[in-house]
Formats: sequence, C-alpha cells, structure tokens
Amino acid sequence: MSAATETPDRIGAGARLPRYALWGGAVAVLAVCAAYSLGVGRYPISFERVYGILVSHLVPIDTFWSVSDQRVVELIRAPRVLLAVLAGTGLAVAGATLQGVFRNPLVGPQIIGVSSGAAFGGALAILLFSGTSAILGLAVAFGLAAIALVYWMSRIAGRNPVLMLVLSGVVVSAFFAALIALIKYVADPDDKLPAIVFWLMGSFATATFEKLALVAPPIVVASLLLFAMRFRINVLSLGDEEAEGLGVRVEASRWFAILCVTVITASVVAAAGIVGWVGLVVPHLARMVVGPDHRLLIPASALVGGVYLLVIDDVARVATASEIPLGVITALIGAPVFAILLRKTQGSGWKHD
Amino acid sequence: MSMRKRSKPGLKRLRQTVATARIAACAIVAATSLCAAAMADPGVQFKDQQGRDITLKKPAERVVTIPIPAASTFIAIDGKTDRLVGMHERSKTAIMDGILGKIFPKAKDIPSDIVGKGFAPNVEAILAVRPDLVFQWANLGDEVVKPMTNAGLTVATFNYGTEELSQGWISIMGTVLGRPEKAKALIDWHNAERAVLEKKMAGLPKNKKPRVLFFLRVLSELRVAGDGTYNDFYIGLAGGRNAAKEVTKFKVVNAEQVVAWNPDVILLTAHEHKSRPEDVYNNPVFAGLSAVKNKRVYKVPLGGYRWDPPSQESPLMWKWLTKVVHPGMLKDDLRAEMVEKYRFIYGHDLTDDEIDSILLLGINKAQANYSQFARK
Repeated sequence: MSAATETPDRIGAGARLPRYALWGGAVAVLAVCAAYSLGVGRYPISFERVYGILVSHLVPIDTFWSVSDQRVVELIRAPRVLLAVLAGTGLAVAGATLQGVFRNPLVGPQIIGVSSGAAFGGALAILLFSGTSAILGLAVAFGLAAIALVYWMSRIAGRNPVLMLVLSGVVVSAFFAALIALIKYVADPDDKLPAIVFWLMGSFATATFEKLALVAPPIVVASLLLFAMRFRINVLSLGDEEAEGLGVRVEASRWFAILCVTVITASVVAAAGIVGWVGLVVPHLARMVVGPDHRLLIPASALVGGVYLLVIDDVARVATASEIPLGVITALIGAPVFAILLRKTQGSGWKHD
Repeated sequence: MSMRKRSKPGLKRLRQTVATARIAACAIVAATSLCAAAMADPGVQFKDQQGRDITLKKPAERVVTIPIPAASTFIAIDGKTDRLVGMHERSKTAIMDGILGKIFPKAKDIPSDIVGKGFAPNVEAILAVRPDLVFQWANLGDEVVKPMTNAGLTVATFNYGTEELSQGWISIMGTVLGRPEKAKALIDWHNAERAVLEKKMAGLPKNKKPRVLFFLRVLSELRVAGDGTYNDFYIGLAGGRNAAKEVTKFKVVNAEQVVAWNPDVILLTAHEHKSRPEDVYNNPVFAGLSAVKNKRVYKVPLGGYRWDPPSQESPLMWKWLTKVVHPGMLKDDLRAEMVEKYRFIYGHDLTDDEIDSILLLGINKAQANYSQFARK
C-alpha cells in the first residue's frame, strides 16, 4: 500500500473555499431526518402534536396533546434520536480518521481491537456492577487497554507498521472475544447473561437523557479534537516518510488520533453496545462526495454518519412491533455496500500494491 | 484423567450388570418354565415426545433429568427424590432456592455435574451414576442425544411450551416410575380446572377482558410473551387479553410499544430474580399506563417450580392469575387449595409462612387486590 501520488493535487483541489451552501444543505438534511424521526414510532402521535410538544419548550402554548404523548416524545424518542445521531457521527469520524492515519480503507474501530476491548469492559461491568457509569468507565478502560496491547505488539518488530498494527488488532480482538465468551459462561443465566447478550447485540432502545449526558461529552470532545487535527491526518495519509519530511511527528500524531478514536468507540459501545460497520462504510460514502481531503472528509463523514445511523435505527424501532437488532441491519446494509464501494473505489481513491 | 479412570470401570460395570441381568433373567425363566409368560410381559413401554418407542424392563430405579423443569416434575410424580440420581445444575439451584429444597432436603446431594452449562451431556459422569433412563430435550438436535445412546444409555426426549406437552411429561414420568395413577390424577386435575375456567370465560365480552402483558425481562431489555406462548394460553384462560398478541413467541420490544399497548395488568416473571413491580412503577416512561396507575403490576409466584412456565402446579397459577385479573370472580380460597394440592403432589403440609413466600406476599403486598391472598 502506498499513498496515491495524486493525493497532494487532491488536497489542492479540496482546499477550495468550502461550499457553505452544500454544508448548510447537509446539516439541514440531518435536522430534517431528526425531526422526522421524532414523529414516527410504534405509539401513534400526529406530527402536529410532536412539534407542539417541542415548540412548547420555547414558547408557551396550550397543550393539545396527552401526557402519554409528551412522555413518549420527550423520554423515549428524543434521547434515542439524539443518541443515534451522536453515535453515528462519532463512529464515522473515528472510521474516517483511522482510514486516514493507516492509509487503509479496510480499517475500522472493530479491526484494531478497540471495540472488542470496550465490549469486554462493558460486559465485565454488567457482570460485577450495574449502571451506565460503570459500563462507560470499564468500556473506556478496556478499550484503552486493548489499544495499548496493540501498540505494544505492533512495536515489537516489522517493517510495515500498518500491517503489524492490523495484525495486532486481530490478535487482541480474538483475545477479548474469548474473554467475553468466558464472561457469558460464568454469568448467571437468569439475570446477568440476558443483560450482557442484549447489550452486546447493540441497541438504542435503552437510551435516556442520563445516558446521553454521560457519553456525549467524551464523544463530542474527541470528535472535535480529531476535527482540529484534520490537516495533520491529511499529512499522515501521505505516508510516514513524506509526513516526517513535512515536519510532522508521525508516531505521536498517529497515536493521539488513535486515542481519540478509542474514546469515541468505547463511549458508543458503553451506550449502545457494538454497532458494527458504521465506521467502516460511512467514510467511503462521504469520500465519494467530497474526496479524500480530511478537512472536508471528517465533517462530511460526521453528517453522513449521523443520518445513516438515525435512519437505520428508525427502521429498527418502527418497522415491526418487536425491535429488530440494530447490528443485524447495519451489517446487512454495510457489508454489501462496502463490497461494492471497495470494487468501485479500487484504484481511484485508494491503491493497493 | 481421573474422570476416564473412574468411568471406564463404570462402563464395564454397567455392561457387566446388563449381561448379568440378562443371564439371570434367562436362568430364572428357564428354571421356572414361565418363559412364555415372561416373553409376553412387555415391561415398561412408552413413546417419547419425538415419537420414538422406548422400552424399559421394569419401572426405572435410577433416572437422570437434563431439562431444567423435569427434575421437579419427577419429584412431583414420585413424591420423593431417591430415584433421581442426576439433574441439571439449574434444576438443583431452582429446587434448593425454593420450597422443594425444604420439603426434600436430600435433593442437595443429587449429582448435578452430569451436564455442562448448556444441555450437552457429560456422558462419563452420567454413566458413573448408572441410570436406567435419561431425560433430554427433544429440540436441541441429535448432538445432545447421540453421545448418550452410543454409550448404551436409554434416552427419552421432551418438548416444551404447551399444556399438552406438559401433560405428556407427567404421563411419561408416571409410566416410567410405575406410578400411572398419580400421573392420571394430576392430569385429571389439570383438565378439570381448565374446563371450569374455559366455561366461565366463554361468555365474557371482549371489553370485560383486561389487557395483560407478560414481561420475561424488564431490567435489561423489554422481552414480552406474544401469541403462541404458554403465557398467552393462560392469560386467555384467566379471562384476559394478551396485550402483546401482535408479536409471536418471546420478543424484545421498545418502551414506546408498551405505551402503545397500554396494558391493564403487568406480570413479571420469577425467572428474573431481581425485577420488582417498582422497576415498572419508577420508570417515568410507563407512568401513564393503566397497570401503573392502578397498581396492577405483579411478580409471578414461585412454587415447587416457577409458576409461569407449564408445570405440575399450573392450575394453581391459572387460578392465581384469574383472581388477579378478575378480583372477586372466583370464590375459591387459593391458600386452602394450595395446602390441599401440595399434600397431594408432594405429600407436604404447607405452613402459612411457606404459602406467603410462594405467593411472594412481601413483594406483591402493595399491589391492587393482593390482600385477597393474605392469610385469614
């Protein structure tokens, strides 16, 4: 794998003035999707009532809705919609960053072991304690432990740091997957096991504002940090030698980016379990629109990711009376889309040696 | 290694026993010239729930049960635990945690290492307890049966989930243990109670049937019992409407769906140890539900087996639920009936404290109409 030689030109091309109208439009699409999502669900409430409830927070108006309507919109739909957007945004930014710093379109948070580590931490937290803060704490801790292991392994030897890193990620993933299986084995089958299985499968069904308040700060801060280092990610995506030549401290920058990605991924895992494929697929979709310049790609991925996961979660919660597991839909859509994208973008955006 | 060392002689011993038995049988037969009569004696014959013909020479003396509820059914039919020589670890915890552990304290010495965490048999451990018959699940495929039949064990399989299948368990256990009259009495009781309730509810108009929602999980996820479940069956029997009728089997739903169904009565399973009615009451999302406003969230009782799946005690569950769904409709005294039936099933005289703990009076005390179950 080598940096595409035309990348500098692309950066030049992408560095044109941002098209504010386009960005405004994209933000509007996300806002419209979110507003629409608040209006759909298994409990029938007319859009009029939904927006009445929302508006009543800004200006005092007469209530023409029931208490149940208000509870459903404010306590069930609002946190769930916000969490879906937040998770989609965060995972997409994380994925775009990883693909950039590793110059590899196959890399996502799941590949480098962070998801497995975080999932193990969360499962352990459910086994030993209860409550979202314990899950968040241990998910982040073991996400970081996983990435530390990967870092330690990938530095042992090898001339190809990217390959070593991906291989280390596979090893660490497998290790934590085994630990998760062990936890499931020892968990009380009447009480803890169903909780662990349900949480691992990935769902926004248990979203609350408390949960949102807990995981939003780390996701937002880490995403903003990545956005702030978007130019540096561009340079890293040129390849190590070029980046060093341009005066960037390659190792430090790369690991800082990975650290941010870990925090985002572990926070999402803590709130909603493993939501696969988003970080892998969404950056490709965004890249098709704005090209490989991370100054554009990172915010574009964020917007696309938010819409993507929001729409998928709408299907999961509304399509049938029973919840469709989120991970099933993301994988069913993600895998084929990714396969097609891989074939199409082969040789254009990315090249293999 | 030690397992292998122990069980190989075990296997050999088993074969020897079988061989000796055969020789002995033949010798006796020859000696007494009753060969023809002996050949005509069919021994114990029955069909298991996969329709396979099973034959035992005589009623089983040593039985292993792998399906979790089967151990308590066994005890119900036999009225003692001597012939139960192995059971699932979770059968044992269920028994020791509940009333059966108090009635049959010797159950704690019955080996429970005969299956792993799932239902895959530990064939060597099973051989070591020399069972005449092993009960196993029918729906888990040949993988959990073949290793045992290959080792020369006799295996009968069970299915689960309906009243008919449950009566099949009782009937088969009665045959196997040589106590068909007890099995028949139990089944007659089930059918009689069912007929009474069906007749009573037949004329009930739809708007007089409260919407009942059964939660199998409420703490981690919201898993409900839909159409085609045993829970659906007894909700109907008790004169209720299953609020989750539009989903089939056991499904996870979101809170909004529960609000849309707006159940009048909510039931929490005893399987989820830690769930309490307060978990529903304290969830602000559910504050508007009819069941919450009227304090009609109940934890299902825990008797000789949990009352929510089918079992030998099911008619007591049906009556309890009818009294919960339609307070005042049945005049019978459930506590008196429990005493009577426990004497019949387990040969045990329930104390008032034991009845309180089976009916979970502590947990359910504050719920609407639950004082009807309090001691007089």
